[in-house]
Amino acid sequence: MRFLQPITATLVFLKQDARHFQIVFLAGFLLFGILQLHWDAELTRYVFLLGTCLGVQACFIRWKSLPWSSLKSAAVSALGMCLLLKAAGPGALVLGAVVAIASKFMLRVNGRHVFNPGNLGIAAAVLLTGDAWVSPGQWGSGVALFFLVTAAGCMVVLRVGRIDTSLAFLGTLAVLEYFRTVLYLGWEMDVWLHRLSNGSLLLFAFFMITDPMTTPRAQRMRVIWSVAIAVLTFLLGWFFWINSAPIWALLIISTITPILDHLQHGDAFRWNTERPEQPAHHEQHQLT
Amino acid sequence: MHASAFCGFYVAKADATLFNDRSEVILVRDGQRTIITMSNDFKGDVKDFAMVVPVPTVLRREDIRVVERRLFDALDAYSAPRLVEYYDENPCVRFDLYDSVMESEMSRAPTSTGMAQEKTARKMGVTIEARYTVGEYDILLLSATESVGLKDWLIANGYRIPATAHEVLDPYIRSNMKFFVVKVDLARFQQSGYTLLRPIQVRFESNKFMLPIRLGMANSNGSQDMIVHAFTRTGRVECVNYRTVKVPSDRNIPLFVKQQFGAFYKDLFARAHRREGRNTVFLEYAWNVTPSFSGMKCDPCVGPPPMPREFAEAGADWGGAATFYTRMHVRYGRDMFPQDLVFQVTPNTENFQARYILTHPAQGDLTCSEGQDYLENLAYRRQRELGELNALTGWDVAKHKGYVNEVRGRLSPERRNNAVPFGWNIKWPGDGFPPSWPMVAWIAALILVPCLIRPAKRTVAVA
Repeated sequence: MRFLQPITATLVFLKQDARHFQIVFLAGFLLFGILQLHWDAELTRYVFLLGTCLGVQACFIRWKSLPWSSLKSAAVSALGMCLLLKAAGPGALVLGAVVAIASKFMLRVNGRHVFNPGNLGIAAAVLLTGDAWVSPGQWGSGVALFFLVTAAGCMVVLRVGRIDTSLAFLGTLAVLEYFRTVLYLGWEMDVWLHRLSNGSLLLFAFFMITDPMTTPRAQRMRVIWSVAIAVLTFLLGWFFWINSAPIWALLIISTITPILDHLQHGDAFRWNTERPEQPAHHEQHQLT
Repeated sequence: MHASAFCGFYVAKADATLFNDRSEVILVRDGQRTIITMSNDFKGDVKDFAMVVPVPTVLRREDIRVVERRLFDALDAYSAPRLVEYYDENPCVRFDLYDSVMESEMSRAPTSTGMAQEKTARKMGVTIEARYTVGEYDILLLSATESVGLKDWLIANGYRIPATAHEVLDPYIRSNMKFFVVKVDLARFQQSGYTLLRPIQVRFESNKFMLPIRLGMANSNGSQDMIVHAFTRTGRVECVNYRTVKVPSDRNIPLFVKQQFGAFYKDLFARAHRREGRNTVFLEYAWNVTPSFSGMKCDPCVGPPPMPREFAEAGADWGGAATFYTRMHVRYGRDMFPQDLVFQVTPNTENFQARYILTHPAQGDLTCSEGQDYLENLAYRRQRELGELNALTGWDVAKHKGYVNEVRGRLSPERRNNAVPFGWNIKWPGDGFPPSWPMVAWIAALILVPCLIRPAKRTVAVA
């Protein structure tokens, strides 16, 4: 069975670190978008985002003597931004990427960074430049199954332990949307389903709010946190007609994450699963 | 046959044959202000014409206008998918290069007394918020508390409503929307001297930037086409709850398509629509059309660019300020489009046009060696054009073998069976690649700077 060796070796490598899976999945989504959904393959945009994120992370790695493996975190943030953030010029992309990565090191409370880097980067690019935007419709609603299966599969396999945030968020939003669209407004069920199966929403639910570094540490607090994001998403979308409401909801709710952490402590998260505990490096990993 | 229009429905007073399968709408969005102009290609007897459109606010008299039909004609002619023709140079003779433009020959799918009325209306939970006469139209703005009352009121007042309409009316009533109800005043219509009903334009302030398409599907099972001409100050308009994709463009197609360009584009669109899953909005044109902007506004232009007068008529009269034009084409039906179309304005100013290229072969004697090389390439190119045509439209191209063979016939016998060079005319994927200088410089800086940074003394850097 020697021919299987490269495959098993790859799997072992992937399983070492949840970020390996994230990178593979996010890059896969990007390829799917370009090849299957016929997005414009804006290579310049991807190069700017990835390059800037990795470059800024490298600066901090040198400055703070962090392990080089933390570049993976920057790659995850960059890929997430490639999938969501669009811009008319490179300035907005560079700003977004710099803010995203720098915020991990500059905006810290109790030794943790407060905002999801990709989320803050997108918000900064959109708000500060007026040159960037998010296209919530770019995934359509037909790829729902695709996302659900792969994302759920990846979550289960990796046991990142943040599936609770995705489920609490989607479940709350599904119930609220059901009350609003079907029971109150009187639309048919497929309107409800079409709203919920939006690809951007699912990507957000499975890949953005599950970042173990910026979700509350205790499970109970995480569920409260996710429900709050869902409620705010619902309110912003229906009553203020804000497109891409989840992005803004997450940004706002992230500000109370330190409070939730203070209310109930939980264990700090570590990316690597294979290596034995190394208390000396424990704190360092949190930085990444 | 479906008696329906894009955002509302046409309702008949009699069983007239109503029909409308392509509607056009002009959307102007500026901050919270939306101006919607609805084309009116109603083909039945005008006395049967009636239209119901949900609008977010009670419109004032000055918010409603009638505009001339030629506004749509001008915009459509300008932004429609286009053919461009190029002429090859004869490599054996020096020639001047001619570019010429052909006007696209797309078949333009033909592209009671008040007091009593109000009293009965109130009983049915319907309030007549306003009543105007604008041009040849009688306009009512209704608000309702429940759909059955509204439906009954419309029926009692002589509008024939589709049986299932009240189910669709409900969500709009619950969303606190008003109903813009239009009828034709026959006497005024006859006085006006027009033979066709003119487009109606409404303007309102609302944070909702959408087109209510669901009402138009109430009595239709098939699909309908809608062309949206959108104008903004900043950039492209895109749909936020469906995908917006570009229609295939910049393809080289065989010369004989010129005679049947209308049929070609129709089939191309149908195929693209199916391939994308029948649930997308297609982009057909996107360009900066600022009146003072002197750059190229189309390449080639199939119609004269819109004039300031036309912008003013559409409601995009910003005194020469930046204006961006987006043309979208959506084919929608109940099954794949459960939600109304919601749009957003983006800062995206990238130009796009649906453009198909015809290349005429060089004329004259091609017996010189360069001429023979040229013919070899030409035969290969024509083969690819046929392949492209098949891929775009699904047309059977086997019967067009002669299109390639007539070129082969002009090759000298020893050249005739030559293989075509591999890798001819490879295109890079995507735009903006290979990279630009600022990008190279930026990436270089991003690699260099981390190398130059000296680590701080501490190893654990937690605040």
